Amino acid sequence: MKKERNSSNTLSPYMNSVHTWGRIWSVGALLALLSVPTFICVKLGVWPEGAMVMKALAKVIPIYWGTAVVEVITYTPMLGAGGTYLGFVTGNITNLKLPCGLNAMENAGVKANSEEGEVISTISIGASAITTTVIIAAGVLLFAPFLGKLTDPQSVMAPAFTYILPALFGALGAGYFRKHWKISVFPILVGVAVLLFAPTLAVGTLIFVTIVAAIGGALVMLKLKLV
Amino acid sequence: MDFKESGFMYAIAAFVIAFVVAESVFFIVKAWKRGRELGISKETLKNTVFSSIVFTIAPALSILTTVIVLAGALGIVLPWIRLSVIGNLAYETVASETMLNVFGSTLSTEITDPAQFGAVAWVMTIGTSFALVLTPLMCKTIQMKVGKAVHKSEKSSKAADVISAAAFIGIIAAFIARAIYGKTPDGVGDAGFMSIVTLVTAIVVSLALEFLCDRFNLKKLQPFAMPLSMFAAMGMAVLLNQVLPAQVAQFTWWG
Repeated sequence: MKKERNSSNTLSPYMNSVHTWGRIWSVGALLALLSVPTFICVKLGVWPEGAMVMKALAKVIPIYWGTAVVEVITYTPMLGAGGTYLGFVTGNITNLKLPCGLNAMENAGVKANSEEGEVISTISIGASAITTTVIIAAGVLLFAPFLGKLTDPQSVMAPAFTYILPALFGALGAGYFRKHWKISVFPILVGVAVLLFAPTLAVGTLIFVTIVAAIGGALVMLKLKLV
Repeated sequence: MDFKESGFMYAIAAFVIAFVVAESVFFIVKAWKRGRELGISKETLKNTVFSSIVFTIAPALSILTTVIVLAGALGIVLPWIRLSVIGNLAYETVASETMLNVFGSTLSTEITDPAQFGAVAWVMTIGTSFALVLTPLMCKTIQMKVGKAVHKSEKSSKAADVISAAAFIGIIAAFIARAIYGKTPDGVGDAGFMSIVTLVTAIVVSLALEFLCDRFNLKKLQPFAMPLSMFAAMGMAVLLNQVLPAQVAQFTWWG
């Protein structure tokens, strides 16, 4: 495989092009998203009271906007530029796009922060976004009544969906734990310790803590020559 | 006709979905061409697409579930739009519930007032769109700084490998920790017996499949080891919920 690495100060023409197009698509997506409530209000001839909306936003914005800052800083190095621009437009990053991209890079044997990793991550997240869109659209148009029963809390299949995150991250983590078990134990212990004191801590915040613990622990082990 | 599920709402949904698919196709084509220039084989690229599709099926069904749950109050189209673009399982539910609480209502009750419907749409949109402002401003800077750090650490490739793996493990560790001792705001999926058994099953099946792939050189099975492990763990949750007494299957640390 031909290796083309970025120099320390500049990005390759491909990467610059990804950033240019990523910005264009992101701004376009923002406008498209804002057009949804605008169209709804114009069509229905109603405009909600600003004070009521602000009251709800005052509760939602501190959580979501703070999490957005942490997520952009945390996920960009993991997903690469194309994966980041695409992932933040298509949503469901933490529970789907991120593990999907990581799994694809692991399977292809490429590293994040290389152009090979960038390519694999982008293709993986794009394929995942289209699949999600198709499944949701098909489900809404064809299977909504059936799926409602399938995922009903009383359904036999309900536990499968209730515990989808442990299933997803257990399956994803196994390969990493096998290869890097020495540096895996500490961040998990830190995560559990934090949850002992704050069990409902938002996952966006917890991820930040466990990444710092994982990298910090790995650096100490490297210094002590334990890994 | 219900204003929440009118032809106009479906037209908006079609527009948003077309946008998402167009952007995805654009970036896939761009990355595919670059991948071939870099010498990545067609087989690797195809495997990436297929394994990502398989990987996505179960979580996408879970997202579809959220669409259906929200549909009770909001109609099916608005949740469909929100969760096809930028949306997130947890965010959309919390944002809509928060706005409805201000009106003295909840997601358990169908919205019949168009003004309330419009307000919910605005809160969902504004609450979750900030990342689209941040990525054009921050993504390039972050990537260049990370590139510099990696370039410096390439002097010690082992250190770079370990730190890179540690960052991935940090993300996974948060979810593992939540499966061991996490509590959800609505109490659904709290950590306890079932979350830990599901987690352990996924890890054990994944390791077993990896072992089989390595031992018998099953290269075609390898990309599917992860999604198969996930489905096996989900199946275990369903099975144990059927065969074990309720007090065991539904045991959580919070009773």
